Amino acid sequence: MSKSPSLPRLILKLLGVLVIVAWSVLPIALIAMSSFKSDRDIFSLTSRFSFAPTLANYELLWSRWGDFFFGLWNSFIVTVGATVLAVLVSLLAGFAYSRHASKGLQASAFFLIFIRLIPPIVITLPLFPVVNWLGLNDTHLILIVLYATFFVSLGTIVMRTFIDQIPRELDEAAMIDGASQMQIVWRVILPMAAQGMLAVAVFVIVYAWNEFLFAFIFTTTKAKTAPLVISEMIGAVEGVEWGVLFAASTVQLLPVLAFVILMQKHLVAGLTAGAVKG
Amino acid sequence: MTARTPLSAIALVGPVQLMVGGIIFLPAIYVFWLSLNQSSFGQAASFVGLANYAKVLGDPYFWRALVNTVIVVAVVVHIELLLGLLMALFFASGVPFRPILLAIVLAPYAVSEVSAVVMWRYLFEPDVGMMSQMLSFVGLPPIEWAVKPNHGLFMVSLLSIWLHLPFSFIIIYAARLSIPSDLYEAGAIDGASSWTAFRRITLPLLMPALLIAALFRYIFAFRLFSEVWLMTGGGPARTTEVLAVYLYLEAFRYNAFGSAAATGWLLVLASLLLALFYLRRLYREMFGKHV
Repeated sequence: MSKSPSLPRLILKLLGVLVIVAWSVLPIALIAMSSFKSDRDIFSLTSRFSFAPTLANYELLWSRWGDFFFGLWNSFIVTVGATVLAVLVSLLAGFAYSRHASKGLQASAFFLIFIRLIPPIVITLPLFPVVNWLGLNDTHLILIVLYATFFVSLGTIVMRTFIDQIPRELDEAAMIDGASQMQIVWRVILPMAAQGMLAVAVFVIVYAWNEFLFAFIFTTTKAKTAPLVISEMIGAVEGVEWGVLFAASTVQLLPVLAFVILMQKHLVAGLTAGAVKG
Repeated sequence: MTARTPLSAIALVGPVQLMVGGIIFLPAIYVFWLSLNQSSFGQAASFVGLANYAKVLGDPYFWRALVNTVIVVAVVVHIELLLGLLMALFFASGVPFRPILLAIVLAPYAVSEVSAVVMWRYLFEPDVGMMSQMLSFVGLPPIEWAVKPNHGLFMVSLLSIWLHLPFSFIIIYAARLSIPSDLYEAGAIDGASSWTAFRRITLPLLMPALLIAALFRYIFAFRLFSEVWLMTGGGPARTTEVLAVYLYLEAFRYNAFGSAAATGWLLVLASLLLALFYLRRLYREMFGKHV
């Protein structure tokens, strides 16, 4: 291998970078850009990259699809709720699996991995009537519980991997000082496991913010999330009001995209920890 | 390892186990019972044995959905792994602006299925979409995803690959980074070409990661619902349905809970079968070699 890359090699490399960038961000960039275009420019060849930007689509979104902003708010509540719930219970379970070992615990850890094989749509069949009967249909609570539940097994595995790296001497010292199990988790483990908790949080946040299937089946009006409203817009506009659709997609996407880019390191750490062990 | 589980540990794993057991496991078992019964909304169930399975297996729409699912899963997962591998090798060979490029590659991970459908429909909109125009520029016919079933499934596959490539890439890239570089140095001293180095060093050492990524992607691609539902709705004329869409329609449109439940259990069984090898290995690792 030569130390300084030759010219054809360099060109090949740049070409590779170009292809990767185009594939990954072009679709995103195009709708974000087109959300600032007038209807006339959206499908025009000449104004693909140069056009007179306008906020008309956003104004239309605001005035005609108030539902969408309500959906964003619902998405926000559900995302926060599911994340807090999933991270907390995963922390507790991850701690137990890291510090204790018994046949029963191992069997239950195996069960957690096994459960990931059950497709979400399968359990909607029995849950739908039960949720109705409990009056939980179209509530934030049902989405919070469902989203958290589908991520606690991955969350637990990731938390255990991270807590394994915290020296046991720390919790033993706290135990000698008379701290209870909960105090150890709260005072010793939690501050040191922040990295792992962030990794779990990234998964749950991205999932809960974007999820479609459960929102589609279990919510109708009061707890309707943003992706569901966008799907209604796809159905309603059918190739006509693309601009509004782009504006809505952009607003829904940008916060979570920024978040993923900021949390890149934790996302990668979580993905690898989760995939290797479970 | 002790035989008994301390009470404090039971309390700590309690919430997770209760959630998973109560909301996923018990309902899944209940689905099995449902699949053996004739039932619908507000109607008492009556035991019918395997009649629902017979009905589903005799339904041409089920077979169509099954074939579609298998094709899409096979195409999506294998192309994704190949692209993920190529990209991982490309990154490992040294790229300019690595951190920024990594963020760019991860970007689709943040995109919802709904927004992805908006993006790709815009790109492939007949006559006016950017990709449609490029296709016609090089003399290829447009993708008529709303009319031709194969084109619909092509769009669904494209969308799935785009959304999930970051996952496969990260798993493979992380494994590639953990290969010690002295192995390549030793190979170079022995005069190995880069192709030999790839075949003898890289590929064997990446195999476990490739298998794990493949397994996860098989299982998750098998549940494919949103992309199909939002892109084609299973149409035209029920030709692009996949198993999850078939299940949804049986249950929530045709009110046939029994056959929906039977489809559900076939889905679960297929997942278990796909993962059997992995579960067995994991079980051995966890409970010792004697099992």
